[in-house]
Amino acid sequence: MRELIGDSYRYRELIWALALKELKIRYKRSVLGFTWALLNPALLMLVLTLVFSTILRFNIPHYAIFLLSVLLPWTFFSQSLAYAVEAIVTNGDLIKKVAVPKLVFPMAALVSNIINLLLSLIPLAILVPLLRHPFYWTWIYLPVPLLALAIFTLGMTFFFAVANVFYRDVAHILQIVLSAWFYLTPIIYPIDAIPARYQWLLKLNPIIYVINGFRLSVYYGLLPKAPSIIASFVCAFISLIIGFYLFRRYQDNFVFYV
Amino acid sequence: MSNGEPVIRLENICQHFRVIHERPDTLRELFARVFRNRTSFHDFEAVRNVSFEIGRGQAVGIIGRNGSGKSTLLKIIAGVYRPTRGKVEVRGSLAPLIELGAGFHHELTGRENILLSGLLMGYSKKEMLARQERIIEFADIGEFIDAPIKQYSSGMYMRLAFAVATEVDPQILVVDEILAVGDAGFREKCFQRIHSFREAGKTILLVTHDMEDVRQHCERVMVMEQGSVIADSGPEEAIAVYKSLLLPEVVGAH
Repeated sequence: MRELIGDSYRYRELIWALALKELKIRYKRSVLGFTWALLNPALLMLVLTLVFSTILRFNIPHYAIFLLSVLLPWTFFSQSLAYAVEAIVTNGDLIKKVAVPKLVFPMAALVSNIINLLLSLIPLAILVPLLRHPFYWTWIYLPVPLLALAIFTLGMTFFFAVANVFYRDVAHILQIVLSAWFYLTPIIYPIDAIPARYQWLLKLNPIIYVINGFRLSVYYGLLPKAPSIIASFVCAFISLIIGFYLFRRYQDNFVFYV
Repeated sequence: MSNGEPVIRLENICQHFRVIHERPDTLRELFARVFRNRTSFHDFEAVRNVSFEIGRGQAVGIIGRNGSGKSTLLKIIAGVYRPTRGKVEVRGSLAPLIELGAGFHHELTGRENILLSGLLMGYSKKEMLARQERIIEFADIGEFIDAPIKQYSSGMYMRLAFAVATEVDPQILVVDEILAVGDAGFREKCFQRIHSFREAGKTILLVTHDMEDVRQHCERVMVMEQGSVIADSGPEEAIAVYKSLLLPEVVGAH
């Protein structure tokens, strides 16, 4: 763990430069450039708001905000994984030619997606008063679930980055896993939509605690209870420890498989 | 021959590669393999038990036929491969010119690439910014420095890459037959730089197929064959050994 923090700090400039490169390339050659990072979630929100306020009506008030409060962190999670799973393989040429610490690639994937997530919170903050949803003071709690989510995601990115080096099938499996996971997590529906006798199953979903933190503070204006906060960090660190352990153990072999 | 303490020390270095013959394409095939316990790879020894020391300020050439393990050895020294067995010690900063422009991204501009590849080589942003102007000057590609490098000619690309790799002022320069490319003017410029590196007392390791380069720049030459160092001497003797390896091949071809 100390090694992870030490290396991340030592290579912070490189990680930052790679993350910026990622973003730069994503928005290069588009007329609006970096504005897309803001525009993209804003337009998505517009579509969702229109759909759920006119066509599909749930008896959840301000459903768009209910949904977006967790859809944005989920998008961050799934996009980070989608990037990270290829992070080592696409940088294979580089790994074969330069003695570069491998952890910078999944790290950079994470950082560039964190930037995207933070930017996408801006249009959400604008949308909340527009829809006349109360703007709760609990927004200031957001850094806590953000931190837990970042740690959880980092562990998973390490895991999938390693696995995909040795078995390229992993990138394909990941897509299916992510979409199943999406529907099994209360993102488009509230937690109590699950019948009481299956509620215990939800507790096994490691991302639910952190996801819940986002929804409570943005949509309900509540803070999660202490056990839920602790659970979110326990899951996050378990993910990080397993992911980083595997990554460290196999990183010297990457060069032979990419 | 060494004028100073060793800056590169290899001890019984072995490097194995697993050569996979054929990957199981379908799950059925995979299961068939697993159950019959048939392995479809063999281990290939690219470098066998190599030990040597290189002293500070030495200019060493490595020659040998294709596939003799030269590049693998350089990559071990550069830290790209962790050897299967043995110990590598490198003292001082090392700039690997194993492939020019390894850290370059074609969508980024020359200027952005200078910073990124410098960071990849382990230098800080501050160091790279301080050297940026000199790198641009050496590369001598004019306005193109602010254009994405996918618009560069291959010559411009190489000039920039060479400038980045050498302007960072490494103590050890490792060069893998990259100087064969490029026009005469650029080659001349590169060799001048290598020459000034030598005068500054830096260590140089050069892999090449050009015997003229070896004669001109190296005081010590190693010959590799099938993963082992079979000669380690002055340039003329080593070149003679190398030529004797090539001889049967040439005769056989006619």
